[in-house]
Amino acid sequence: MSKLRKDYEKSPLWKFLTFVKGDTPLPEEDHTEEWIRNVERAEETEKTENANYIELKETDPYEDAKRFAQMSGVRVFRKIYYVLAALMCIMIIAMLIMNVAFMPRFGSDETPTNNEVAERYLADGVEETGAVNLVTGMILKYRAFDTFGETNVLFIAACSVMILLLHRESTKLSVAEGRGKKLVKKKKREDEEDVDAEQDEDVILQTIARIVVPLIFLFGLYILLNGHLSPGGGFSGGAVMGAGLILYNSAFGFRKTQRFFDETVYDVIKVGSLCLYALIIAYYLFTGANGIDPMIPLGTPGKILSSGLILPINLLVGLEVACTMYAFYALFRRGSF
Amino acid sequence: MEWLRFTIGGLCILAGLSIALIAAFGLFRFRFALNRMHAAAMNDTLGILMILLGLIIIRGAAFDSLKLGLIILFFWFASPVASHLLAGLTVETSERLDEFCEREDDERKGGGL
Amino acid sequence: MTDFILILLATFLIVCAIGVSLNKNMLVSVVIFMSYSLVMSVVWIFLESPDLAITEAAVGAGVTSVLFFVTLRKIDVVWKRDKKKEETEENA
Repeated sequence: MSKLRKDYEKSPLWKFLTFVKGDTPLPEEDHTEEWIRNVERAEETEKTENANYIELKETDPYEDAKRFAQMSGVRVFRKIYYVLAALMCIMIIAMLIMNVAFMPRFGSDETPTNNEVAERYLADGVEETGAVNLVTGMILKYRAFDTFGETNVLFIAACSVMILLLHRESTKLSVAEGRGKKLVKKKKREDEEDVDAEQDEDVILQTIARIVVPLIFLFGLYILLNGHLSPGGGFSGGAVMGAGLILYNSAFGFRKTQRFFDETVYDVIKVGSLCLYALIIAYYLFTGANGIDPMIPLGTPGKILSSGLILPINLLVGLEVACTMYAFYALFRRGSF
Repeated sequence: MEWLRFTIGGLCILAGLSIALIAAFGLFRFRFALNRMHAAAMNDTLGILMILLGLIIIRGAAFDSLKLGLIILFFWFASPVASHLLAGLTVETSERLDEFCEREDDERKGGGL
Repeated sequence: MTDFILILLATFLIVCAIGVSLNKNMLVSVVIFMSYSLVMSVVWIFLESPDLAITEAAVGAGVTSVLFFVTLRKIDVVWKRDKKKEETEENA
């Protein structure tokens, strides 16, 4: 309602909102030119008044580096460095081999991991989780919180790559817009490599990709949905689906992939699946901490629709992983989706 | 009947293994990447076909046989295309290409990625 | 027999790891790294963890090496020959 007032531009809420949006008008007067003039004047006065003033010459950095590498102290240091590195390597190898020598044999009874926790998993795992594949049962039921952390790591990794490499083609905030004056459309980036990649259409690859990509997606979905019955699960199925997306992209180019997978879809799937996963974990933690029955039927082990919430968690993790894989590829390849 | 099936399947697997051996031999014997690719592609198509066919014959009509057949199909789709792309990449990047083969047109094509 | 195959695979892994670091050609290094991941997935199957084997084959041998190839192309390692040819044409 406050926006109906005529002087709403003076209200603190509006000021705060414009500050958040980032288009607060800057103060009109511009001091940069004056500052540059001051600096130049100071330099000139120093040149004329100071007799010892020496103008810095621009030197070739490669020449400097070469001369530095040929100094005797540096050469001696490099030799010592090689010897020390070799010694360090040998020491680490010896320590690791000694460690391995003291380990029990793989799969023997005396391994320290063969304790009551493993016994509990093996004895009651199927009954408690409802998953025939005990690995998935452990990862997504007993240790669901750890897996949530791993999914977060994937999310953060994709975000970091986006921060480093994302290069939007759409309208960008120019300096003029930052000062609240007008919108300037930045013209489309003309990267020669992109044009190259779009024109470089391989008929053989496209024909085969048309047949194979749906099969790869089907296989990825099979691994995802069968995660609690057979080997596989969220991470492997998601990686397979991401590989299918990458194959489609490298065969048909970015323009055709954008018809069904652009940045909006990516954002929605990635954030949505992570939030849903967080909700599920929160539900588990809440019910577990308060001793409430989770009210989720486990079903009969061995059926597709069994083992409670493991199936949706698998699906969400798989979507997350597939998006991350494709995002890595697209950002490395072009810098946008 | 059982022993006959097993014998035929075993012979198929042996043939596939010998093809794989020949392919490995050719892989080390040839000197240029394109020739080596020829040897490797033989293993990827014929060798794998023989081995999986032997396994299918031994297994008989079951769900696993269908899966093995799908693996053969996938390999026959994927491997030649991969070889094609690799060959394109080799032609584009190899620095000693003219020593090993003649080319009619100099126009480069292919090389997906 | 299983022990023998495992030792053979482990030796192959060590040789691959040394080969990756000592090779001068980066493209060859990436291909050796791919084969390393492939053999690693076979080792996972021998250690009876097929879940990890699938993930290793898809991520290690598939996606990671694709990322490496894209990076090599970005820094102009793979497409070097064309550039050399263009330079010679410009000089001539």
